[in-house]
Amino acid sequence: MAPTNKSTRRTLIGSGVLLLAGLASASVQADDAKQIIRDRCLACHTESGDASAPNFSRISEQRKTPEGWLFTINRMINLRGLQISDDEKREVVRYLADTQGLAPSEAAPFRYLLEQDTNLVEEGVDQALAETCARCHSAARFGLQRRTTEEWQLLVNFHMGQFPTTEFHSLARDRKWYEIAHDEVAVQLGEQYPLLTPAWDNWKQAVKSDLDGRWRVTGFVPGKGEYDAWMTTSKADGGRYNLSLEGQYADGSPLSGSGKATVYTGYEWRASITIDGVKMRQVMAADAKGMSMNGRMFLASEREIGGVMSALKDTKAPAVVAVMPSYLRKGESTALTIIGQNLDGDIDLGPGVKVEKVLERSDDRIHLMARATGDEGTQSVQVGAAELASGLAVYGELARVEVTPQNAVARIGGMSKMPKVRVAYRAVGYSAGADGKPGTEDDLRLGYMPAEWSIKPADEMAAEEKDAEFAGTIDAAGIFTPGDDGPNPKRKMMANNVGRLAVVASVKDAGEAVEGDGSLLVSVPDFVRRVLD
Amino acid sequence: MKHLKSLNKKAQLINQAVSPEEVEDVVAMQTVVGCTATTDPGWELDPFGGLGSLCQPMESDLYGCADACWWPAQVPDTMHTYPDWGKDVAKANEDWRKLDGIFEDGE
Repeated sequence: MAPTNKSTRRTLIGSGVLLLAGLASASVQADDAKQIIRDRCLACHTESGDASAPNFSRISEQRKTPEGWLFTINRMINLRGLQISDDEKREVVRYLADTQGLAPSEAAPFRYLLEQDTNLVEEGVDQALAETCARCHSAARFGLQRRTTEEWQLLVNFHMGQFPTTEFHSLARDRKWYEIAHDEVAVQLGEQYPLLTPAWDNWKQAVKSDLDGRWRVTGFVPGKGEYDAWMTTSKADGGRYNLSLEGQYADGSPLSGSGKATVYTGYEWRASITIDGVKMRQVMAADAKGMSMNGRMFLASEREIGGVMSALKDTKAPAVVAVMPSYLRKGESTALTIIGQNLDGDIDLGPGVKVEKVLERSDDRIHLMARATGDEGTQSVQVGAAELASGLAVYGELARVEVTPQNAVARIGGMSKMPKVRVAYRAVGYSAGADGKPGTEDDLRLGYMPAEWSIKPADEMAAEEKDAEFAGTIDAAGIFTPGDDGPNPKRKMMANNVGRLAVVASVKDAGEAVEGDGSLLVSVPDFVRRVLD
Repeated sequence: MKHLKSLNKKAQLINQAVSPEEVEDVVAMQTVVGCTATTDPGWELDPFGGLGSLCQPMESDLYGCADACWWPAQVPDTMHTYPDWGKDVAKANEDWRKLDGIFEDGE
């Protein structure tokens, strides 16, 4: 890659490296990054081994995601006085994520953190790790790292030195915290998340796919709704991609944007895109063949506000990617939209589902009226040779509504320099399934449904504290906005506008309202904003 | 403890968790990603999953805890990591509008 900034250029000329514009290659990029590490990091770190495959102390014994490396470098800037330009930082992050990253299977269990989709309670965290590490930050933060045992032990030492009162917190002061953390938990981490794994060896050797082309995209933007679009990606200088996104929301309003993306570790898609004047970010993972990407798109200024996003590469083969809405109530004529690419041929919505009228049809979108008379269940949706298994849920009666996220935290703000942290909600409908009982395993998931939103106190104590009155409001689109920060003279003890709420979704089904709720904590600001929580 | 009577809500909550087994159960509670509940009290939640045992309003004794890096994941610890945080906000309960965050997430 040609050097992209003045300081890099200086460095390269200084080290006698000759670069010709246009002779971009991964190895030059890597040499570039290694030189930046030498120039910027070796005041504290040391280099050993062969110059072509150097070992940098504390750096070479770790593997991380792009966000993990960015987090580390930012920490070096903030805590250790590292001087590095933004361009150099990007270069080093890419080099380290490419050469010391995580295999897709290693990152898979923790993608929510990379996608900044953090309104959830992590489950199945080992007790020792929960008590030692995940009581202050997410389990995904360390689950997305691979280190040697010695490196994990040095991380314990970092915590001891940087945050010495760690030993006095609960779950620490009642035991020999340091000995347990250093001699037991770090060893456990070294076994559970080791530096060297077959998964990473295999991924390093795997042929990586280019992600340029046309992609059929579907997703959701809070406040705007579901959308379908085409994303066009093309390779740009420096291994980056240019991208554009053109499509429409479910209500027919257009969606248009363009931006740039970087692919890390051969599969981690990270894009910055401006859509209709709003800056957003995409975090997706490509599959091994580079044929599909899945992840989340969210506001650049508010990472909590976002929604799922999927992209399927156009290979000129016919494909159905989604049906919107994804459910059909028996006996009712309903408008459905089939989203796909290269659609051609007869439409078949499964046994017992009649296509009453095709309202509009193109090769990537079919708008039709359908009516179901058959049994309840998921149907495969076919258009010619293209098929989407379980693309449509036929149901008799809405039995249960699930609010997502089930557990969330909003944060007061707006009056100090700390912004409010909002929460975007959606409602998922279920029918009772064959056993006729809602809340059992055979419930049929119908998909996201429009809902009326409200809040109420979580319990008696929250009602007594008037939490629902002070803690915030929810709008018609299901976006909760917390109250202002600062002591509130109207509350007992001048308390903040914090509270524990139930967020209620009310979904209408044939005139009957079915309700579900989620648990929302409205809390104080988080004054330390990190790349990964 | 059996000879002591809890007078207020916080004391009643503490009373609910007097046996070591219960304490263990309570403090191992998982919360939403990014929240700290277990550092007696937590920043977002108390060890009982409520707000009753938290310092409120948080501005009234913010530095009492931040200085000792009590919640270093959520509040800049002024002991080591960010000694200058809050420098211009001598009294958080009065000057809380000037409180700012540390943004370590720059690209």
